[in-house]
Amino acid sequence: MNLCAILFLLAFTTPSWGKDIEVFPDLNLNNPNELKEAMRVLEEELKLAARPQTYLLIDLSGSTISIKGRGVGLHQIPIMVWSAESWKDLKGIHRLVARPQVVRRKVEPGAEVEQEPISLADMPADYVLSFTPSLSVTVVPSVESDNLFQSALLLGKVGWRNVKDWTGRLLMDRSSEPTAHLRLTLSVNHAQSLAWSLVDGMALVIRRPADK
Amino acid sequence: MGRLLLATSAVVLLLLVVISAFTTNHAALENSAAVHQPAVQDKADLRTLQARYKILSKQLSHLMPTQPYILVDTARNRLYVKHQEQVVLDAIASTGSGTILDKPGEGNSQWIFDTPRGEFLVKSKLTNPTWIKPDWAFIEEGLAVPQNAADRAEQGVLGEYALGFGKGYFIHGTLYTRLLGKNVTHGCIRLNDSDLKGVYKLARVGTPIMIF
Repeated sequence: MNLCAILFLLAFTTPSWGKDIEVFPDLNLNNPNELKEAMRVLEEELKLAARPQTYLLIDLSGSTISIKGRGVGLHQIPIMVWSAESWKDLKGIHRLVARPQVVRRKVEPGAEVEQEPISLADMPADYVLSFTPSLSVTVVPSVESDNLFQSALLLGKVGWRNVKDWTGRLLMDRSSEPTAHLRLTLSVNHAQSLAWSLVDGMALVIRRPADK
Repeated sequence: MGRLLLATSAVVLLLLVVISAFTTNHAALENSAAVHQPAVQDKADLRTLQARYKILSKQLSHLMPTQPYILVDTARNRLYVKHQEQVVLDAIASTGSGTILDKPGEGNSQWIFDTPRGEFLVKSKLTNPTWIKPDWAFIEEGLAVPQNAADRAEQGVLGEYALGFGKGYFIHGTLYTRLLGKNVTHGCIRLNDSDLKGVYKLARVGTPIMIF
């Protein structure tokens, strides 16, 4: 009798298949522009998550970089500061041309002493990533450090990078295809961590702020 | 019999409440439509967007692994077995050293000892595995590569279990537990005995492995 009642009730109960996930926790569901941008990103992500690969999501609204696979966030990196140019070109799926160069140590056959492995500390913290279609992402480290010498060195590197960027843009042929440009400031450790996790040909999707 | 009647009445009552709520909302919408047509249109558009966003989110959630999966963080040398958002196992691992070794007699060709990044599947589960030493293992030690296949077999160095994920890469045990947490391997993922046993029990052939 009890079983019959339960089955009867169950027959009229709406089942909830799958769990609702919060893909963008900061998303304002009452803002149509935010929703449209989130939907555009989700449509791109669905294409990437359908294949066995890891991909990048740079979320400028949420100020995070996510390494993802099958829609699952595998690792998150906070963005301290960002700026961008040519907003309309930040749409679609971009592919990383090449990961940042790493100085690898060579194993000497038969050597008594084992060669030191590479570690996060060997990764660059200040680099430019080129993507196709035309997009460049400049990663700069924040200059917060207890070590004064290290801070000065970083400041010098970042300054030099700025000068190179400005002169590059001044000398650029105006008739050539415009390059979308994104500049991200990360902590030194996070910049190195991102460089470590990148793979040649890795896909990238960018979520832009809704007001852009 | 009495309980069945009670359950039936409860369901009928529930249906009546749902129908009445629907008609009330519908009526309210119709009333307001007569007065503020554009606002209602905006609201309807917003609801359509919200509904579409939920559908896309759900589609993405359906691509996420429903069974336990293995997650490997090569920068921090950690291996996790996760089931949805829950961490079922958290282990210190050793992953690829990133060093290089020249291939003798092959010009500029080299072996790069990286753990591959991306998504893979557990392809095989072995107990008491035998290590079939590849060419690089001999060259690295300054030894001649044996012609006889039997001379490549080495017992007891991979621990009690091994999980293959393609192209000669395995999750296996180690004799060098003091090196766990460091990037010291030739691309395989090493674990201590108890963590290896745990992963072996939790994973099946076909379990996804996400490596970043």
